[in-house]
Amino acid sequence: MATIANKKSRQRRRELTDGQFALMIGLPVILLLVVIVAYPLVYSAWMAFHRIMFFGGYRAKFVGFKNFATVLSDPEFWWCTWVTIRFTLESVILTMLLGLGIGLLLNRPSRFGSLWRTLVFLPWCVSLYGAGLMFAYLARGQTGLPTAILADLGMQNVPDFMTTRSIVEVLAIGSSWTMAPLVGFFVLANLKTIPKRLYDLAAIDQLTPLETFWNVTLPPLRFTLFVFTSISIVLSMKLFDLIFVLSDGGPGDASSTLTYQLYKVSFKNLNLGYGAAMSFFLLFFIIGSTMALYLVWGRREKAL
Amino acid sequence: MKTHRPNFVIAMAILIIWSLLPILWFVRMAFMNHAEIASFPPHILPSSFNLSSFVNIFGYDYKLADGTISSASGQAGQIELGLQNSVIVSVVVTLITMVIVVPLAYVFSRLDFKFKNVLLNAVLLAVAIPPVSTLIPFYTMYVQLGLVGTLPGLIIIDLTTTVPFVTWMLIGYFRNLPPIERLARIDGFSRLHTLVFLILPLARSGVAVSAIIAFLFAWNEFTFALVLVNGTPATTLPAAISGFLGQDPNPSQLAACILITIIPPALVAFFLQRHLAEMNIADPVR
Repeated sequence: MATIANKKSRQRRRELTDGQFALMIGLPVILLLVVIVAYPLVYSAWMAFHRIMFFGGYRAKFVGFKNFATVLSDPEFWWCTWVTIRFTLESVILTMLLGLGIGLLLNRPSRFGSLWRTLVFLPWCVSLYGAGLMFAYLARGQTGLPTAILADLGMQNVPDFMTTRSIVEVLAIGSSWTMAPLVGFFVLANLKTIPKRLYDLAAIDQLTPLETFWNVTLPPLRFTLFVFTSISIVLSMKLFDLIFVLSDGGPGDASSTLTYQLYKVSFKNLNLGYGAAMSFFLLFFIIGSTMALYLVWGRREKAL
Repeated sequence: MKTHRPNFVIAMAILIIWSLLPILWFVRMAFMNHAEIASFPPHILPSSFNLSSFVNIFGYDYKLADGTISSASGQAGQIELGLQNSVIVSVVVTLITMVIVVPLAYVFSRLDFKFKNVLLNAVLLAVAIPPVSTLIPFYTMYVQLGLVGTLPGLIIIDLTTTVPFVTWMLIGYFRNLPPIERLARIDGFSRLHTLVFLILPLARSGVAVSAIIAFLFAWNEFTFALVLVNGTPATTLPAAISGFLGQDPNPSQLAACILITIIPPALVAFFLQRHLAEMNIADPVR
């Protein structure tokens, strides 16, 4: 390493500043992203201000803010907002708790460690549509595990979880089942960066396991936990595959989150202008909730 | 650590069962035949294990024990094509993502520069846009560019998801690495050399996990694949499997297909997770 460094230092003309280096690496990528992201956004904005008709020839008529006003006065929209909030809260809390648990458990040295790691990681390998199908078969009374267990015990009950009351919980469990290993593995990767000697010091100071966790383990994890809470909020709010396959928004509209409703409005009802307007409300909710999280939590973690 | 041994074993057992139960439920279904799946009440174990579904989805007939023939799936051609395309798309997306994202995340997490927060928020915005709302604009754009039903088109779409996502995940990881930049500068390393020869080896486990994530995103992408490549020669496995949902419902073959989609990412995860096991940062800065 030292020889490489010496050779390099002779060739070097001048040091790049932080800003120049960042510009060199980051700017091309970000420009490309902006172009790729800006185009669909501008296109959606155009649709949101128009009424788009297919029957009797394709026509688009400028209607100003009418689509946005229609969204706000639509009770269906507010119902879907409520479903989204309920689903997102449940799914995020479950995901983060499970993820933290996975990270901490896998960090313990144990025999067959790599086998356990692979097994625990498996749910993340299952696609969202795959997980949707699995949980649909597990939760439905006709084909589900609870029914099978009760039948083997000689009971005739058919516990069905695909009902208006519990479908959101089934979805939340399904989505946290697939997302938690991801959080767990990043927690694990971060746990490995904690120097061992800190634990030795904690042992010398005779801290209880809880105090050790609070003072040694948790501080370096907090920023990662914040990042993943935001990520799982975003993922839950824009989740589509799982809902599409598992419940198709139903029964009725019991599990129509805003993302699902967006699909229904744009692709089933072909109401493109209305759908585009709604997509901006959804985008606003997604950005708003991550911003809010940043203000109450993330801002403090920066100081670390 | 030894004092919590029984609790640890119980917690680990619960975690393993939780992780495997839904998958095992599909393993069970894949080994059942039509009649067994349709029977009510459902049984926990299939009465006979037969491999017919796994053989059928690759386009071969299978002779059951009682002499009846379980015929090849009509989706077989699509599935084989999809498997091949999915491998290509996922590998290419993973490689491109890692080349772009590692320096990007490093720059964001370790350096200070003007407009950093603005740019970071631009990346966040790219993460936040729901795919359903960009579907129509992307489709119109792709029709004009002639990218509908092509692998490069799908790869570009996948990159718009993986790049911002993995960047956000890696930033948190890079922040926790020991601050060795100044020491490297004193030793005469250039910035690029610091990144490639010092930071990258230290960040191995984070980079490995990120590679798995990029691979899985590409491997499992469903929404865009359904709209852009379904039924074309560029179809991917998720799009091919969607055929079982509508035209040709067969729960057993569906389960077999889903299980097959799990195998490649599980192999990738198994080989890359060893990086985590070997990972041991020995605190280079004292």
